[in-house]
Amino acid sequence: MPRPSDSSQPRFASGCRWGTQGEERVVLFPEGMIRVQGTGQNILELCDGQHTVQEIVAALSEKFSGGDPTKIREDVGSFLEALQQKRIVDY
Amino acid sequence: MTSNPLALIAEITHRCPLHCVYCSNPLQMIATKAELSTAYWVRVFQEAQQLGILHLHLTGGEPVARTDLKDLVEAAHAAGLYTNLITSGIGLPEVRLKALVDAGLDHIQLSFQDSQDGPANWIAGAKAHVHKIALSKIIRGFRIAFTVNLVVHRQNLDHLEEMIEFAEQLKPDRLEIAHAQYYGWALKNRDTLIPTRDQLENCMRIVEVAQERLSGRMRIDCVVPDYYARYPKACMGGWGQRLLLIDPSGNVLPCHAAGVIPGMSFDNVREHSLEWIWRESAAFQRFRGEQWMPEPCRSCDRRAEDFGGCRCQAFLITGDANATDPVCTLAPTHHLIESARPEARFDGEQVSWSYRPNPE
Repeated sequence: MPRPSDSSQPRFASGCRWGTQGEERVVLFPEGMIRVQGTGQNILELCDGQHTVQEIVAALSEKFSGGDPTKIREDVGSFLEALQQKRIVDY
Repeated sequence: MTSNPLALIAEITHRCPLHCVYCSNPLQMIATKAELSTAYWVRVFQEAQQLGILHLHLTGGEPVARTDLKDLVEAAHAAGLYTNLITSGIGLPEVRLKALVDAGLDHIQLSFQDSQDGPANWIAGAKAHVHKIALSKIIRGFRIAFTVNLVVHRQNLDHLEEMIEFAEQLKPDRLEIAHAQYYGWALKNRDTLIPTRDQLENCMRIVEVAQERLSGRMRIDCVVPDYYARYPKACMGGWGQRLLLIDPSGNVLPCHAAGVIPGMSFDNVREHSLEWIWRESAAFQRFRGEQWMPEPCRSCDRRAEDFGGCRCQAFLITGDANATDPVCTLAPTHHLIESARPEARFDGEQVSWSYRPNPE
């Protein structure tokens, strides 16, 4: 599966959702969980099937003003691709 | 300091419409009238969440045989647990599945005994195969995670490729190829189930090719079975380290098979909190940590990785629950595993099963 395009609308794959472990937010899926912090968490919170990748990149560029948008696009793409391989995200 | 458990396996009933020859249930099953009530399970789920547990695995027997299953799923979801249902699918029409999904079910794992109708029903001791296929189509209509579980052994490994193609058509997110593990009914039927080394090596090759081909579409999980591994598995992630299991009567066990070990007694959720049982009960402390370990485990670099292997297997094979798991190539009793492999004693195929019956 290729990386997401600018117009892709990523969302959690079926059976994946947020959960909590103590104070921490975690992503739960069959047989496991991952802790996501920082930028990863910012990206996943926008993976609601509504926001496009372009919009996610724009939101992150605004949040981390001064960040290089091309670099941010690259990071978002590879992050989502890795989670798609693990069947945590669909786009 | 004892770590917190991550997952709770809830065997909510031992009743089952299937009679699979490799069932992991104990030979001595819990009677229907001894089953824990809904209210106890609801309390247990809340306590489980407070103890740090994230995943609940509702299993059996056949969990769908409990008429209060929807209430149990609802309670587990409300408690904040990620809820998995491990089922044969028998007794789960669409309307009931929809009710479970609405109640908060996150993941369904459906077992198949084979790709072909005849052999599948032969293993299950019941006509179940076509119902499972029908249900898998219904499952895909809901937005929940779907795993197909295929138990493999000597009788079906020769057409593993066909079984993977069959599973692919059911469109699950994940395929679990599970080698039969020799406890309970599977141990009784071990001589007929245990694969040959050729079958096993072929299996791992086929799985690798399929994983590559299906990457990103269907995840395939498969681990080398115990009897051909070099080192034992880290059974349950270590005794009393990560998982607990509650049987239909409310007894809390460190694993499926712990009841076979002589001298074990289990505390019950009717009398104690889950936290007390996890931290204080004799059953959970018995093999927790490294104090119990004999040589060669005690001085082995791998002791923090596989924890000496499985205590139940050690007892079932060597007669001593304190022994190194005989699966380990370093174990003094490893010859007992070598001699159980078909090559060591195979003199033509003779199949006679002990089917798993139902509890009273």
